[in-house]
Amino acid sequence: MINLVRNEMLKLLRKKRLFVIILIIAFLVPLFTYAQFKEIQDQRKKMGTQDWRTVLQQEITDTQNRLSSSRIQDEWRKYLKIRLSQQQYYLENDIDPRAPGAPTFMRVFVENSIDLLLPLLVMVIVADLVSSEASGGTIKLLLTRPVKRWRILLSKYLAMLLSVSFIVLSVAVLSYAISGLVFGYGGWNMPLLTGFAVSGDELLTDNVHIVPQWQYILMEFGLVWYVCLIVGTLTFMLSVLLRSTAAVMGIMLASLIAGAILINMVSSWESAKYFFMVNLNLTNYISGMATPIEGMSLGFSMSVLAVWGIAGFIIAFVTFSKRDIY
Amino acid sequence: MRKYTLTIVSAVSIAATLLWLFGLGWTFQDQFSSNKKFEQPKEKTESAISKKQDGTLTIFAMGDSLTRGTGDADGKGYTGYLLERLKEKSEQEVNLINTAVKGETSRGLFKQLQQSEIQRQAKQADVIVMTIGGNDLFQQGTTLESLDMNAINSKKQIYLSNVKKIYSQLRDLNKEAVIYHVGLYNPFSNLPDAKTTSSIVRDWNFQTANTAAEFENIVYVPTFDLFQLQVENYLYTDQFHPNKEGYKLMAERVASLINFEQEEKES
Repeated sequence: MINLVRNEMLKLLRKKRLFVIILIIAFLVPLFTYAQFKEIQDQRKKMGTQDWRTVLQQEITDTQNRLSSSRIQDEWRKYLKIRLSQQQYYLENDIDPRAPGAPTFMRVFVENSIDLLLPLLVMVIVADLVSSEASGGTIKLLLTRPVKRWRILLSKYLAMLLSVSFIVLSVAVLSYAISGLVFGYGGWNMPLLTGFAVSGDELLTDNVHIVPQWQYILMEFGLVWYVCLIVGTLTFMLSVLLRSTAAVMGIMLASLIAGAILINMVSSWESAKYFFMVNLNLTNYISGMATPIEGMSLGFSMSVLAVWGIAGFIIAFVTFSKRDIY
Repeated sequence: MRKYTLTIVSAVSIAATLLWLFGLGWTFQDQFSSNKKFEQPKEKTESAISKKQDGTLTIFAMGDSLTRGTGDADGKGYTGYLLERLKEKSEQEVNLINTAVKGETSRGLFKQLQQSEIQRQAKQADVIVMTIGGNDLFQQGTTLESLDMNAINSKKQIYLSNVKKIYSQLRDLNKEAVIYHVGLYNPFSNLPDAKTTSSIVRDWNFQTANTAAEFENIVYVPTFDLFQLQVENYLYTDQFHPNKEGYKLMAERVASLINFEQEEKES
């Protein structure tokens, strides 16, 4: 089995996809770093102060003013209200949620890329894992070996899992290393609040507690990895089902982007919460943001993703072992 | 070479898998177990002690939509123009912190003033400007339609007691900063009932000025006269808030007062 996985990893490396993905990340991170750097600079100039409390307070008042305007959508109002109480909570406890530093950048970066960017990167790797063998015809050679089919597929799945871990790790390392050049490498012990719960448009703070930033980041990366793994599994399933890599990519791309769009408009369509693509934003539960649909929680989203993942896994293995190859 | 890459990438990936699994497990443990004790952070992120910035003049603005600048096409309001004027005149750096919220009443303002961050900023300020009372009196224009004197009088009493509380709180927080309370104008002075409404607003302003006089260094800045003639030229299309020109008039008036105070300090 180990040799099979080794073999699959070798194929993956030969394709140089991992390398390309690292390049993409290495290109994007400086871009975002610069954007954030500019933003901080701009803010300082506008407010004439470096005190984050003043800036945060100003943001709170701005939000209050927006809330008091009558032409505001209900969902947006709810979102603003929750963010407002959260900011107020941070301010009261004298914690700066955005103190600049490489760890903060890392955190913000994964929080923003968990629902689209990272799944896309994973998809690029996984999409042709099986389908390329089918379209290239090498699958026959593979299956004529005296190895059970499920073992071959499992070795591919494990290679997928390893590369997902690798991608997430490179995101972590690269975003830390590159943004640190600008923001400095400190800030791992900065306190952050987690455990917010949202009920209606109220922010519940009963369970709020403080974790150091390094733990917070580790937790978020755990969730990012989980999301990537599920997306990887689904792509893997499509890759087994379809012979064309382009079709696999197309379907995954469409559903991921549909998810990003749906989140903004499904609040009244309750059963949409069972789609996997509206549940990708797991880190929002850690930081305590408003949920897109009433009744979603960390446990709920993770279970929905798990069900989709397990289903995809089973379908992939059943089809692959039963299918006729010709 | 290729062989090494393979081994390294595989080993790193396996280590990463374990790390992320650990992170995921920790998330479960952290998020799904309740009864976490909330402890105040012992280490503050940076010194929270309020200290005045040297060499800069900090204006702290609070109150309602007038301070926020509703109606001004540029969104600056009188505070924005005031800032511009002071920047022109003074060599010091001038900062503006605007915490005004649209629709704020005197009661709301007093509540806002209980927040620790607002208090901290009030402490740091060199100059405090505020507008309040417009929403207490007008309530979006409904009060002056009925013109029920009893109702207006009881509103005024509540308002005055709130204003008193606000003044004394500000004075407790910051003993030096001069407070400029910008007064009300009558937006309805070109309507049929102008005589009655104007007298109500005048009385309201007079009582406020009286309250302000009980405290040290609180300057009541009248605006009634600015809008008395040609009110329609200075009002925004909602016929209630000032427009750009109206705000500029208000800013000029406050700016002249602030300069006066500075000259006095220097001599």
